[in-house]
Amino acid sequence: MKRYEVIIVGAGPSGLSAAIEAAKRGVKVIVFDENEKPGGQLFKQIHKFFGSKEHHAKVRGFRIGDELLEEAAKLGVEVVLNATVVGLYSDKEVVVKIDESIHHYKGDTVIIATGAAENMVTFPGWTLPGVIGAGAAQTMMNLHGIQPGKKILMLGSGNVGLVVSFQLIQAGCEVVAIVDAAPRVGGYGVHAAKVARTGVPFYLSHTIKEVSGEDCVTGVTINEVDEHFTPIPGSEKTFDVDTVCLAVGLSPMSQLLKMAGCEMEDNPKRGGQVPIVDEYGQCSVDGIFAVGDVSGIEEASSAMIEGKMAGVCVSEYLGYIDEAEKKEELAKFDKDLSSLRQGMFAPENRGKVIEKTEEGIDISKNLLRNGFVADDEIERFPGVVHKVGVHPVIECTQNIPCNPCQDACSKGCISIGNNITCLPFVKDDSQCINCGMCVANCSGQAIFLVDEDLGDGSATVTLPYEFTPLPEVGTKGFGLSRSGEKICEAEVVSIKSVKAFDHTNLLTMKVPKEYAMKARFFKCS
Amino acid sequence: MSRIDEHPILGETKKGREVEFTFDGKKMKGYENEPIAIALKANGVMIHRYTKKEHKPRGLFCAIGRCTDCVMVVDGKPNIRTCVTPLKEGMEVRTQDGTKAAG
Ligand SMILES: Cc1cc2nc3c(=O)[nH]c(=O)nc-3n(C[C@H](O)[C@H](O)[C@H](O)COP(=O)(O)OP(=O)(O)OC[C@H]3O[C@@H](n4cnc5c(N)ncnc54)[C@H](O)[C@@H]3O)c2cc1C
Ligand code: SF4
Ligand code: SF4
Ligand code: FES
Repeated sequence: MKRYEVIIVGAGPSGLSAAIEAAKRGVKVIVFDENEKPGGQLFKQIHKFFGSKEHHAKVRGFRIGDELLEEAAKLGVEVVLNATVVGLYSDKEVVVKIDESIHHYKGDTVIIATGAAENMVTFPGWTLPGVIGAGAAQTMMNLHGIQPGKKILMLGSGNVGLVVSFQLIQAGCEVVAIVDAAPRVGGYGVHAAKVARTGVPFYLSHTIKEVSGEDCVTGVTINEVDEHFTPIPGSEKTFDVDTVCLAVGLSPMSQLLKMAGCEMEDNPKRGGQVPIVDEYGQCSVDGIFAVGDVSGIEEASSAMIEGKMAGVCVSEYLGYIDEAEKKEELAKFDKDLSSLRQGMFAPENRGKVIEKTEEGIDISKNLLRNGFVADDEIERFPGVVHKVGVHPVIECTQNIPCNPCQDACSKGCISIGNNITCLPFVKDDSQCINCGMCVANCSGQAIFLVDEDLGDGSATVTLPYEFTPLPEVGTKGFGLSRSGEKICEAEVVSIKSVKAFDHTNLLTMKVPKEYAMKARFFKCS
Repeated sequence: MSRIDEHPILGETKKGREVEFTFDGKKMKGYENEPIAIALKANGVMIHRYTKKEHKPRGLFCAIGRCTDCVMVVDGKPNIRTCVTPLKEGMEVRTQDGTKAAG
């Protein structure tokens, strides 16, 4: 039986980060992943990530994956692909299936970084071809370059449902509706808003009644539900679709830990069956660690820090560093991790209804109900200001751990305040030079540049645009409201696409001046 | 379903060499080493198999090799997960009926 100092199961962000930290200190590491390509969830994520610079914020997910892989390779980490770990025993024996054969390895330590699996829901017709998981949709469009469908209904308004809906539109598909049985949008408001303004309607307190079709999906009927999730008769709505996409949550893939005899608990705040771990991922069985989504569904950013912590811990366990060095390193990561675990979406706030921001501002009810901030709500947020000339309007209205907007502005126009979760605001004495960096760098696509009065009855609105085809200057069309309704005529007056924007084009449209604070998307006529 | 020719973030999709294969005897084209299921989807095939007891259609569901909904008979071998099996020139792909090829 081949022996390794540390065996890591899963080559996602947490597993690779653990591997890097351990290998850096001289530990001999092997990583197994069941996929053909390493990177876990990251390789399907094409949006710019939230967080701060230290957490790779504003970098697109797949690029973060590339960076981790490169670093791991440089350090000589051995990554074995197409290798499914099927067994783990308390003596840290690992059973791996590669092709059709079974291999046994022994680890001095083992780090489980297997991530999560998608939850399913059933309804009449759920097995028909054309009903797919959100992860499947991402795999098809972002890895294999094929549209999952033409007309799609999304079930689930958490971050996965919202992000995948946006990606579907980027892939040229039509998203007919986002449906969720919960009364409130589950994911970040900024993710919802960027989908809503393209014209996708949100149906909260709704669920799928049935999917119709003989051989494959041809339609779907939804109905409203009351507060006990009981269907309300007569509330049915039917859509012609060829695809129904399910994004109804993730569950930790913790079976291997259970098999090894690690103590487990059922913890809804962490997403289901999870191992009982100390703050650095050590399970009840000595030398077995669990990091990333498998020990609680969170984000890639926190998964990476958890991975690093376990990497440091195994290095000490194996004698490559001493206790003092370990403590020093871990203190650094502790600080990073706690800054990420703040805000309205922090694990401890899961399931709570939050009515006010940290600043004491009422949360937009419309954002939670319909996916966009209403015109009469937007003015109360600190990023929404009026000035003469071009100035940023920041429509970021919830406390999330994110701050690329502040770093983006070399003129110091934007500030987040002392805490990374505070709402961004525009500084009074600042002078915007219309460079566009804030618009392109905002992970939530929540920043617009507005010139409210050009002097001829019109105004300009600059917005982030990540769709093809890219309209040309001079294209006439409509300005869409935050809800995606056509509200005025609009003409494209400038398109900016520079390398530093990383594929986020800046589209500037001219609209009648009374729509300066209302028009937030452009659609060709 | 259509392939995405020009993606706003990912640009052009990298494809292998174009190869021919058959689906239930019908000639089709796909790209070498892409999952069989993707080539089938590009050709509009939705049904991969029928269940054994109730003869209900199944198609691509998880696309990562976990659910087994997409299994088909490939080159005479049943239960091949087409979402994670690379396409090769001349492959014979058949709809699976229960545990055997249909028809
Ligand atoms: C649509 C979507 C959008 C997201 N957006 C963001 C975002 O903006 N910012 C952010 O920070 N996070 C985001 N996330 C979350 C982030 O992707 C995950 O939290 C993160 O990938 C978790 O990392 P991980 O290493 O724990 O697991 P994963 O990335 O899931 O990696 C686990 C790996 O282990 C492999 N594996 C599992 N079991 C076995 C086994 N038995 N044998 C071998 N290999 C195995 C898996 O195949 C996988 O490759 C998003 C997620 C989704 C789905
Ligand atoms: S456009 Fe440039 S100068 Fe103006 S706020 Fe944004 S980053 Fe700052
Ligand atoms: S405005 Fe700032 S804090 Fe809000 S999503 Fe954009 S970059 Fe993040
Ligand atoms: S679609 Fe689930 S195994 Fe292929």
